[in-house]
Amino acid sequence: MSTPTRTPAGAPSSVGGPGGRIGDDAQRPDGVLKVRGEFAYASDLWMDDMLWGVTLRSPHPYARIRSVDVGPALAVPGVHAVLTSDDVPGEKVYGLELADQPVLALDVVRYQGEPVALVAADHPDTARRAAARIVVDYDVWEPVTDARAALGHPTWNQVHDAPAAVTELSRESAHLHPHGNLVRHLKVRKGDPEPTADVVVVGEYEVGMQDQAFLGPESGLAVPGEDGGVDLYVATQWLHVDQRQICSALAMPPEKVRLTLAGVGGAFGGREDLSMHVHACLLALHTGKPVKMSYNREESFFGHVHRHPATMRYEHGATRDGDLVYVKAEIFLDGGAYASSTPAVVGNAGTMGLGPYVVPNVHVDCYGAYTNNPPCGAMRGFGSVQTAFAYEAQMDALAAELGMDPVELRCRNAMELGSETPTGQVVDSPAPVAELLRRLVAMPLPPEPATGDDVDLRHMPGGVSNTTHGEGVRRGVGYAVAYKNVAFSEGFDDYSTARVRLEVVGGEAVATVHTAAAEVGQGLVTVEQQIARTELGVDAVVVHPKDTAVGSAGSSSASRQTYVTGGAVKAACEAVRGRVLERARGLVGRPAGDLRLDGGKVVSDLEGVALPLADVLGDDAVEETVEWRHRPTQALDPDTGQGFAHVQYAFSAHRAVVDVDTELGLVKVVEMACTQDVGKAINPQAVVGQIQGGTAQGLGLAVMEEILVRDGRVQNPSFTDYLIPTVLDMPPMRIEVLEYADPHAPYGLRGVGEAPNISSGPAVLAAIRQATGLPLRRVPVRPEHLTGT
Amino acid sequence: MRPFTYLSAPDVTTALRAIATEPGARLLAGGTNLVDLMRQDVERPTTVVDISTLPLDEVQELPAGGLRIGALVRNSRLAAHPAVRSRYPVLSQAVLSGASGQLRNMATVGGNLLQRTRCPYFADGTAACNKRDPGSGCAAIGGFHRGSAVLGTSEHCIATHPSDMAVALVALDAVVEVQSLRGTRRIPLAELHVLPGDTPDVETALDPDELVTAVELPALPVAASSRYRKVRDRASFAFALVSVAAAMEVADGTVTAARLALGGVAARPWRAHLAERALVGAPATEEDFRRAATAELATAVGRPQNAFKIELARRTVVATLHQLTTEGGAA
Repeated sequence: MSTPTRTPAGAPSSVGGPGGRIGDDAQRPDGVLKVRGEFAYASDLWMDDMLWGVTLRSPHPYARIRSVDVGPALAVPGVHAVLTSDDVPGEKVYGLELADQPVLALDVVRYQGEPVALVAADHPDTARRAAARIVVDYDVWEPVTDARAALGHPTWNQVHDAPAAVTELSRESAHLHPHGNLVRHLKVRKGDPEPTADVVVVGEYEVGMQDQAFLGPESGLAVPGEDGGVDLYVATQWLHVDQRQICSALAMPPEKVRLTLAGVGGAFGGREDLSMHVHACLLALHTGKPVKMSYNREESFFGHVHRHPATMRYEHGATRDGDLVYVKAEIFLDGGAYASSTPAVVGNAGTMGLGPYVVPNVHVDCYGAYTNNPPCGAMRGFGSVQTAFAYEAQMDALAAELGMDPVELRCRNAMELGSETPTGQVVDSPAPVAELLRRLVAMPLPPEPATGDDVDLRHMPGGVSNTTHGEGVRRGVGYAVAYKNVAFSEGFDDYSTARVRLEVVGGEAVATVHTAAAEVGQGLVTVEQQIARTELGVDAVVVHPKDTAVGSAGSSSASRQTYVTGGAVKAACEAVRGRVLERARGLVGRPAGDLRLDGGKVVSDLEGVALPLADVLGDDAVEETVEWRHRPTQALDPDTGQGFAHVQYAFSAHRAVVDVDTELGLVKVVEMACTQDVGKAINPQAVVGQIQGGTAQGLGLAVMEEILVRDGRVQNPSFTDYLIPTVLDMPPMRIEVLEYADPHAPYGLRGVGEAPNISSGPAVLAAIRQATGLPLRRVPVRPEHLTGT
Repeated sequence: MRPFTYLSAPDVTTALRAIATEPGARLLAGGTNLVDLMRQDVERPTTVVDISTLPLDEVQELPAGGLRIGALVRNSRLAAHPAVRSRYPVLSQAVLSGASGQLRNMATVGGNLLQRTRCPYFADGTAACNKRDPGSGCAAIGGFHRGSAVLGTSEHCIATHPSDMAVALVALDAVVEVQSLRGTRRIPLAELHVLPGDTPDVETALDPDELVTAVELPALPVAASSRYRKVRDRASFAFALVSVAAAMEVADGTVTAARLALGGVAARPWRAHLAERALVGAPATEEDFRRAATAELATAVGRPQNAFKIELARRTVVATLHQLTTEGGAA
C-alpha cells in the first residue's frame, strides 16, 4: 500500500476516557484517523498475490443481449478469468425483498450500467482493457422512463377534476418484469371517504433523484478458503443479508461464506444492496486467488441504488379555524429497473406521507414502479424525505389560505402522545411536535443581511463569486417537521445479536462486545462501548471486528442500530452481569442483595463489599450471547393500510433562514436551526454530528443535488457535475436536543440519524418561498426557478 | 486508461519535435484535465509529452508596460501576483473563482486556455458528440443542455468553454504567443478559440505542431477598474452558468472606455464588442448598461433548459457595470 493506514484498533485508545458511559461525549476511534487520512477503508484492502476484478456494464438502459463473446478478453495476457451469468452456480437473481436482479445480465439488460461480465487480471488496467474487448451484441429497445407511464396512469391534468376516481391502473406500457411494472401499491384509507372542508388546497410536487454521495466507493476483497468456501472483506451496511444473497448465488451454505466488515466510507442506504460482493467471490473461487474490486467514482454512480424520484399530488382540506379535515394524496415513486427496497420505501412514503399531524380522514395511494431508470432503493429518510417536501408545502399553502401563521397551523394539528396516526396507530411515546416548533420560534434570529460597506461577500448569495453586494437580496424564514419510523416495520422480524464477554486480562477487567452491526461512520462502536461500560462497570471495552461469526445485527439503517443493537448489547451485558454477581454472592458468603459492578469491582455500598473482578473471575471468562427484539409490529391491512406497523417514531424540526438574490436566483442559507427529540442521547456529540450531517444532506437536495437522467441515461456521474454542499454552502447551526424517554426503548432512546435529513430540505424550500413568493413545486430549486427567466 | 509512451521534454525544442512528428501526441502540464479525459477514454494519446519542467513559468514586465505570463505559470501564482492584483484585478478574481485551491496549484495558464468542454456528452463515450466523434451528432441538443451555450452555437454543437481565467484575459486584449519548429507567432486570444460551425472537433486556431508558450497582457489603464462576477449552482467548486469580466472608465457620467467579456455562454470566452461599442460614449446608467447587454445578446439562441442564461447574462452584465460605476474596481 502506498498510503500508511491504521485500523481503529491500532489507534491511540483515548476513546471516551474513563468516563465514556452513556450520556457522555465519547470520542470516535475512527475520527482522528479519517481526518489524518490514515483510516483503512475497504479500498485500501491488499494482499500481495491478489488479482483485480472489474465489471463490464451495459451502455444501454434497455436491450436484449443476442450474444456475448469473451474470447478476445481471455486472450489478453495477465487475464485469469472472464465470467458471465453462465458461471453463476446458484440462483442467478438476487434482491433485498424480491429476487429480481441478475447477478450478471441474463438475456435482457434493464438499466444503463447493469453488470454483464467480470474480468480478473493481475493489474486493474489489464482487467479494464480486457473487459473492453468483450463483444456484446445488443438488440437495443426503447426504454420506459416515466413511472406514471410505466403504470399506465393518466397524467394529472386529465384527472384534476376527479382525483379520487383514479384507483384502477391500466397497464399499457411495456412490461419490464413478468409480474408487470407495479412493484407495490399501498392504500391508506381512514374515516369518511367523501369528506368536505371549508378550505381546500391542492398541489403537485416533484422531487429529483438524489445520490447518497458517500465518499468511499464500493470496494471489497474476496479470499478463497481452504475449505472451498470464501472470505469476503467488504464495506457494507448489513453483513448477514449480504451473506444470505451471496450464499444463494454461490449455492453454498452460510458456514462457507464468511463476511468481515472492511472500513466503510459512508453508506446512507447506498450499501444495503449488493454491489461487487458476489462478483468478487465468483472471481476468487474461479481463480483460486484473492480478488479485489474497487469502483471508481463514475462506476460508483452506477454501482448503487439512489433515492427514488417522486411525483406527488396532495389535497388538504381544513375547517376555517385551521383543523385538518382530510388529506388525499397520490404518490408515485420511480423504483427503476429492479425492486431493491422499493416495497418498503412505498410503505414508508404511504404511512408517513402526511407528516406528524392528526388527520381524521385519509385517502392515500402510494405506488412504486419499475422503469428503465437507475434502480432506486434505500437512502437516509427512506420515502419520508420526498413526502415531507409535499406535506410541508401543503401546510404552508393551507396557512396562507387561512391567513394563519404556518407554525400555529402546524402546532394546532400536531401529533402528541395518545394521538392516532393516519394508519390507525396510537402514538404511545412522547411526540413533542409542537414543542419542537415552539422552541425553534423562541431561538434568536440571525442578524438582518448587511448592506453597503458592511457587506462580507462570504455571507451573500453567490459567496466569493462576487455576485450581489446586497442589492436584490430578500430574506425568508421557513419551518418544517420530520416524522419517521425507527427500525424495520410492517411485521418484519427485526432483531440484533450481541455476544459480550467479561474477563480479567493482565489484572484489568476487560469486556469484549461482538456484534455484526456495521459501523458506517455513524459512531455505533462508541455506543457499544458506552453501553458495556455502563452496564459492566469497566473502563476497557474491546469492540470485536464486525463479522458473520456472530448472529445478525440487522441493517445499519432506519435509524435502528442504537435502538436494536444497543438493546442487544445492553441485554447481553445484563446477562453477563447476572452471572458475575451470582458468583460474587457465593464468594461473599452472606446475603448481599444490592451487589453491582463498578470500577472493575463487585461492590455493595450497604454491605461494604469491594471485591476485585480478578478475585471473582480468576482465569474464567463469562460470556453471553443474546438475540434481542423490539416489540413486534404488524403488517398493514391490504385494503385500508391500517395497523400497528411501526415500533417508534422520530421527530425533528428545522427553521431555515435564507437570503435569495432575486436578480440571479442564488440562495444563501444563512442559518439552520434544529430541534430533535432523541429520547436519550447516548453520545451527545455524535447526536449533534448526525443532526449537522443530516441537515447538510437535506439542504443539498433542496438547492443542488440531483442525478440527471434522460432516456434512462445518467448525465452527471461525477462530483464535478453532481454537486453536493461545500463548507461554504452549509451555514452555522443552532441545535437543541430534547430527551423525552420512550418507555418502550432501551434507556428511553429514540433513533436519531434520519429525521434531520427529512425536515431540513422542506424548511429551506419554505424559506425560499417566503423570500420570493414563488410556489416552487420541484426540488432541487435552481437559479432559473427563482428568476422567472 | 490506454497504454501510451511517456516523454519528459528537457527543452522546448524536444517538445516541439515530438508534437510535430507524432499525430497522437498530447502535452501534459498540470494534468488536471488531460488525465481525467484519459481515464474516461475520451483522450487517447499515443505519446504524452510532459512539459511541466520547461522554463515557461515566469511572469515578466514588458517594456511597454504590460505583462508576459509564461504558459506554465500555475493558476495560484497568477492570481496572487502583485502586478496582476493591482493592474488587472479582474484576472485575479476570475482565476480564484475557478476550481479548487488544489487544482489551481497544479493547473497552468496554457492548460487552462486549452481545457476541453465540460459538456457531459463529450465525456460520455456512449453518447453522440460531434466534438469527440465527428459526424455522430449532438446529444445535448434535445438532451440535457442546461449548461450549454447560447451564443455562437451551431446545429452541430452547443458546448461551452469552461474557463474563468480566459474570460478575463479576453476582456484584457490578451495575446497568445505560440511556438513551433517553424517559428513563433502571436494570436489575439479572442481568435484562439473558434466557434463550432460544422467542425466542432476543431476548437482552436492552433496547428497540431504548436505549443502555447506565453500570454501577453498589454498595458491597459482601464483594467485597474475591473471586476469578475460568476453565477453558479453552489458557492464554490462549480463551473459558471454565466460569468462576466468587465473593465470600465467613466468621466462626468459618461463611459470613456470599456472592456467586456462573457463566460459560460459560448464555445469561447466571449468578447462583447457589440456591448462595448454601445457603452463607450453613452451615459453610465443602468438603463444604458441594459441596452448594451441586450445588443450583445441579440443573437443569443436559448433552448428549453438554458434560455434562462440569456436574461441571467444580461442581469449580470448590468450588475457588474453598476458596481464599477459605484465603487471602482481596485482589488
